Amino acid sequence: MLGEFEYMLITAAAGLGDDAYGAAIREEIEATTGRKCSIGALYTTIDRLETKGLLKTWMGDATPQRGGRAKRMVRVTPKGVVAAKAFYDAVTRVSRGASWVANRTGSAS
Amino acid sequence: MRSTGWSFVEAAARPLARDEREAVLGDLAEGNENSWQALLGVLGLVFRHEAVLWKNWRPWLAGFGVALPSSFLLMGFSLSVTWSYLTIRCPELLQKSSLTLGSGMLVLLCQGLLLIGWSWTGGFLVGSLSRRTLWASTLLCYSPCLFCLSRFRVESLSRFCLLLFLVPAIWGVHRGLRISRLTLSWAMALAVAITALMLPGWSSGAHEWWAPPQWTLDWALCWPAWYLVGTAWRARSKTGLGGSDGLWGGQREQQTGIS
Repeated sequence: MLGEFEYMLITAAAGLGDDAYGAAIREEIEATTGRKCSIGALYTTIDRLETKGLLKTWMGDATPQRGGRAKRMVRVTPKGVVAAKAFYDAVTRVSRGASWVANRTGSAS
Repeated sequence: MRSTGWSFVEAAARPLARDEREAVLGDLAEGNENSWQALLGVLGLVFRHEAVLWKNWRPWLAGFGVALPSSFLLMGFSLSVTWSYLTIRCPELLQKSSLTLGSGMLVLLCQGLLLIGWSWTGGFLVGSLSRRTLWASTLLCYSPCLFCLSRFRVESLSRFCLLLFLVPAIWGVHRGLRISRLTLSWAMALAVAITALMLPGWSSGAHEWWAPPQWTLDWALCWPAWYLVGTAWRARSKTGLGGSDGLWGGQREQQTGIS
């Protein structure tokens, strides 16, 4: 079972598709969650997910914007998709009947 | 990107693997982070990587099971070897010790071989168990050395005689880093030879009441040799090669990319 941050990282990478790399994933996570994403948390999680076979990474092109340094490109593997779907299904199932789900428009009772 | 602050960031990123360093520094540059934030980010990543390495038992065994205790014991044994050398060189000391020149030389030879064997196997084990945590094992080995060097007060001896064990130990570490294990036959020969060299020391049973028996200290230095036999045995059982891969076991896999 994935952790919360692992799920967010996989989802962000999947959403970015061919443009998924460290800085873009970080920006996406920060924009959607409104929380700061440290570079340490990002890269150690990428390493862990790659070890588990849920992500594949390779070195991409260098750009002047990055001071001539290469990007670490990220792609979600089929195994990663299955793991993310399992996490999403579990969260959906466990959330059924929760006040904030049942009463979407009103306040929590 | 080339300010003084960024040179600190680049220096902090040194411990990272080359590709990872490239990607991280590029991401930080692209994110327009100031050098202080970037430095904290990089230090956080380096710390996390280090923490992941220490989740494994191997660096703990290498540092606190071998490097730290062995350096204390081997310094003592280095001193013992030096005394044996001085004894056979000085006729008065030789007479007092009730040894003949021949037996004194034999004792010195046994002790010298034992020092090399213990130090080399200990170093090999540290090198093979701790690669990226070698800095910690080195620190744990050198700290007692510096402590003892600073307190060594024997007029007739150079304080550097305490460090005789370092040369074979460093040689062992070097070999341990390059190759993952010894072949079973080689490891077994080494362990048996070291154990055999330990036996004469046990027969001279007299020791102070407060001191631990000689054999306990000897085994504390000998177990790395038998540990190497165990790993070679396990590797042979797994592969079923029977040590057909030459004198040394598997060559250390190339450390590439981000681990």
